[in-house]
Amino acid sequence: MRLETRKLLDKAFSGFGLIAIVIMALALVFILAPIVSRGSKAFVFKGTIEHRRVMLELFDRGNVDKFHKERDEVGKAREPIYAMMAEFEAKTLELETSIETTLDEIKNEDRNLRKEVSRLKKVTPRDDVLIAELEARREQFKTREAELKAQRSELDDTRSAPYEELKDTVEELFGPIPGDKTPVLVRQRYGQTRWDRSLIKLHELLYTEEWDYSSPDGIGVKVETPRSELFAGTCLEPLFSYTEENIPQMMRPRTTFYWQFITDVSKGDNFFGGIWPAVLGTIYLTLGSMIFAIPMGVIAAIYLCEYAKEGRVISFLRVCISTLAGVPSIVFGLFGLAFFLNTIHVSSSKSVLAGSLTLSLLILPTIIRSAEEAILAVPRSYKEAAFGLGAGRWRTVLTVILPAALPGILTGVVISMGRAAGETAPIIFTAAVSVGLPLKIWETMTEPTPALPWNIYNLCTEHEAVDEIRHVQYGMVLTLVAIVLILNLFAIFMRARISKKLRG
Amino acid sequence: MSMNGNTNKSLVMSDAASVRLRLGNWIGQGVLFLITSLSTFAVFFIFYFIIKDAIPFFKTEGFKELFTGTHWYPSAHPAEFGALPLFAGTALVTVGAILVAVPLGISAAVCLSDLLPFKIRQVVKPMIEILAAIPSVAYGFFALVVFAPMLQEKGGTLLSTGAWLILGPIFALLVVVAGDLLLDRLRTRIKNTKLAAITVFSVLGSAAFFLIYRVAGQLAGIEISSGTNAFNVSIILGIMALPTVVSVSEDALQAAGRELREGSYALGATRAETILKTIIPASVSGILAAVILGVMRAVGETMVVWMASGNAARIPEPWYNVLQPVRTLTATIAGDMGEADHVTGSSRFHVLFALALCLLAFSFLMNLASETIVKRSRKKLGK
Amino acid sequence: MSEEITLRKFDQFAEHSSSGEPSEIHIEAKDFSLFYGDFEAVRKVSLKIPRRMVTAMIGPSGCGKSTLLRSINRMNDLIPSTHAKGEMVFDGHNIYDRNIDVVTLRSRVGMVFQKPNVFPKSIFDNVAYGPRLQGITNKQQLSEIVETSLRQAAIWNEVKDRLSSNALGMSGGQQQRLCIARALAIKPEILLMDEPTSALDPKATAKIEDLIGELRENYTIIIVTHNMQQAARVSDLTAFMYEGVLVEFGKTKQLFTNPKNIQTENYITGRFG
Repeated sequence: MRLETRKLLDKAFSGFGLIAIVIMALALVFILAPIVSRGSKAFVFKGTIEHRRVMLELFDRGNVDKFHKERDEVGKAREPIYAMMAEFEAKTLELETSIETTLDEIKNEDRNLRKEVSRLKKVTPRDDVLIAELEARREQFKTREAELKAQRSELDDTRSAPYEELKDTVEELFGPIPGDKTPVLVRQRYGQTRWDRSLIKLHELLYTEEWDYSSPDGIGVKVETPRSELFAGTCLEPLFSYTEENIPQMMRPRTTFYWQFITDVSKGDNFFGGIWPAVLGTIYLTLGSMIFAIPMGVIAAIYLCEYAKEGRVISFLRVCISTLAGVPSIVFGLFGLAFFLNTIHVSSSKSVLAGSLTLSLLILPTIIRSAEEAILAVPRSYKEAAFGLGAGRWRTVLTVILPAALPGILTGVVISMGRAAGETAPIIFTAAVSVGLPLKIWETMTEPTPALPWNIYNLCTEHEAVDEIRHVQYGMVLTLVAIVLILNLFAIFMRARISKKLRG
Repeated sequence: MSMNGNTNKSLVMSDAASVRLRLGNWIGQGVLFLITSLSTFAVFFIFYFIIKDAIPFFKTEGFKELFTGTHWYPSAHPAEFGALPLFAGTALVTVGAILVAVPLGISAAVCLSDLLPFKIRQVVKPMIEILAAIPSVAYGFFALVVFAPMLQEKGGTLLSTGAWLILGPIFALLVVVAGDLLLDRLRTRIKNTKLAAITVFSVLGSAAFFLIYRVAGQLAGIEISSGTNAFNVSIILGIMALPTVVSVSEDALQAAGRELREGSYALGATRAETILKTIIPASVSGILAAVILGVMRAVGETMVVWMASGNAARIPEPWYNVLQPVRTLTATIAGDMGEADHVTGSSRFHVLFALALCLLAFSFLMNLASETIVKRSRKKLGK
Repeated sequence: MSEEITLRKFDQFAEHSSSGEPSEIHIEAKDFSLFYGDFEAVRKVSLKIPRRMVTAMIGPSGCGKSTLLRSINRMNDLIPSTHAKGEMVFDGHNIYDRNIDVVTLRSRVGMVFQKPNVFPKSIFDNVAYGPRLQGITNKQQLSEIVETSLRQAAIWNEVKDRLSSNALGMSGGQQQRLCIARALAIKPEILLMDEPTSALDPKATAKIEDLIGELRENYTIIIVTHNMQQAARVSDLTAFMYEGVLVEFGKTKQLFTNPKNIQTENYITGRFG
């Protein structure tokens, strides 16, 4: 091969390596960017008057007077809509009643006629002519009745059913109609709290959506028609243009910084409020697992580094540790269920305690390894000096080796904390529930808890309205990722400092 | 004042003190050993309890159906426990993940150990750590909420863009090298070298371009009916396994040592030749260990596959069709336990432990294999 | 310290040793061997080290001089698979006997290492480490010990204003003197020094050597050194070791000017090693 070709190959080779790094960086950005950009919208967004209503009524937060003033103004803006709706409802009712009364009249007369006919039939001699005439009249009534019934069902189809749909959408957008009784479900008591969601609901209000499956390849096509067409010619027709034009006055969007997203409990199936129970659950589980894993792990590391004589037993212990590190996390979950809950019954149902124990086993190998590394990195001379001054082995470990290894051990601990906080599989069967209140510290012994990783899964797969609470899901993911990354960045920073110190 | 304050202290301990000291040491070490073995023997506990709850299943249902049956209907009457589709699903996404993670990971590891200057390495390493630290549920969320709709809506475009991005550089390199070699052959026979170069490169280049164009065109025509499928999961699992592959194989490459590199450079090898012909062969066992660890990460992952694999317990048709939904062992355990939990003691409950036992046995064997490989290579390198 | 006194001391030692009075012999090796696994690093060494003198051990690297030094306070115990044969007698006991309290032994035989190995603690805590191990917790008492030790190590004036700052911030020479102070704080009788100046610059070395000169008033000092000039400058007696064997032991002046053994001569005239 020519030298030039070899050099070319060399450059191309380097290029490939760089591409790999770049792809990795892009993957990181590709994954983190949507989480950060959309997750931050759980904290900073354009909140509507409904958000402020939720804050005031459910969380007792905000300025009452200001809110009342705003509420009155918004009420004024919304008034025409409700008026139109009321008028439409009244008219529908009127039409319905007129049909109903006519129907009733016809029915009454028909009944009278029938009586008359049956009476006439018994009379002798029978006046067949009159009977026939009456029967003919009854036939007329029947067609008339059928006509009216058709009218009524047409009224249902063209007025009532579309109106019910419209009313539902309006209620979803603005909250319950004033004067109606308060819905049972908390999530139905308020309108859209976010401006972006309001605009989506507005679109649903303005357009009906249908799927057209007529195309030959079987893939449905979405067809949107303006809802106003359904109400053409009625008093509701202007409602749509009015709503479209005046939506800002009716919702009052305002940039809101809702940092309490983290510290608020959730209300109404996660539609409102924050994620505190899950955050607290994650904190409990993480700290709980640390309580078990740190002492066990550090002591094991001390034993392996300082006491154990290399040999069969130790290499066997090391194989055990690395096997433990390789066990799939879901198997830890099953083990936790089978052992902690079904065999030794640490609690009668899932609990934070059982989850922490399971998680602590999961992170134990990481802690042992990092502690071992940190202890081995302590210069031998420290140990010699301590021994030379007459310290025993245990004293040396406690007074010299552990303090010097502490930053390294802490780095490993912090990284495992991130791992424990983010693990889902081990807590599914041992600790996590979908809905729950924040636990008191003593309840952790017996009670299960919501936890960020589990609730993320739950909200984006099993929640009844997955699409409507995307912001909560993203906010949760961002919170979890932020917790884990902050812990890791802290560890990276600390490690850099240690290596700087060791270099001199 | 006496300078030598300890002179009066006797060197000899009384028998009692000696016994006390020995006993104390012995007990202390015993306690330490006990704690250490407690934490290490947890792995036996895990094996014991998984096996204990798996045995009832094998007793009542036997082995044959689980490993050969293709119908997974554990809640039907009568229940069917054919787990072959689950094994197939796990295998498919794992292979997919490895196809993503291994080429990328090893290139990145080579880059980190031999190509990048120290300062850039200082930036890249934390990046890898962050990639490793992101919780699996966040990856799963991304796969389900961002990546799956993207695949469903613009699947063809994405695939063809991917083909351009991946095949483009490879073909460009091939064209350049092949052209260069060809010209080298022709040099002696042709006078007008400039013209020859232009002809050779343009012919090869347009052939390569046409080839990629055709492939990308084919891919662009693909419609993906469901974004939650094996392809999606493979990509995400590949990214998740990357950090493991990168860091373990980088360690292996580093362990090959400076002497080896210097020896090769001193003989006039280029960097690429040094790496490809000397360093990688010397560290091949470490790289193998990295691949094994990557496989373990992909096989053991739960959340991503549960959320984004589509959870359809059937073997794709044809079996390599990654655009169909699949279901894996881990996702089955996670998903079915919720329902099976209430009927502890039924086959439906115990079959999940049987599946977990398969996972556990697999990861144990893999782990043993990687340990053995690493140990043997260490012996070979004389360290 | 004049030449005369040294010599007189050594003569006394010689006399005493012949008359068998043990008081002036501080430590004695009798056919002492030390093994690393199968390798015999120190081979049947017998020597008597007198009290309150500086004894230097010289020899090429790997000759076992450091091993012998570390055997005197059983620092070799730290290395797995070492064992000793013969006797190392201190205070009337073989320190390798089973019932010897190693902790007490090490608090009576202090040691200073090749590289300054201060703990990453404050200067005060470094010096107070040994006394605290012995159970002294009284702040007043500790301060006194720390000050005395630092004064003895001739470093008090340099550090008295920053006792609570981290010891790692000191210069190499200061760190080594701090290590000496730390060793003195446990009030040992014997001070073992394993090439204490090998990591230091000439100026710091000179200070340490001066310090050794002062300390010999009160302590028995055994120093391993690579540097023959240093041995000649600071020691009263010199032992030359080669391949684990004690080749020659005698008054420093005599050994350097008139060696009895041809190997010693070769070594000190620089023909090998």
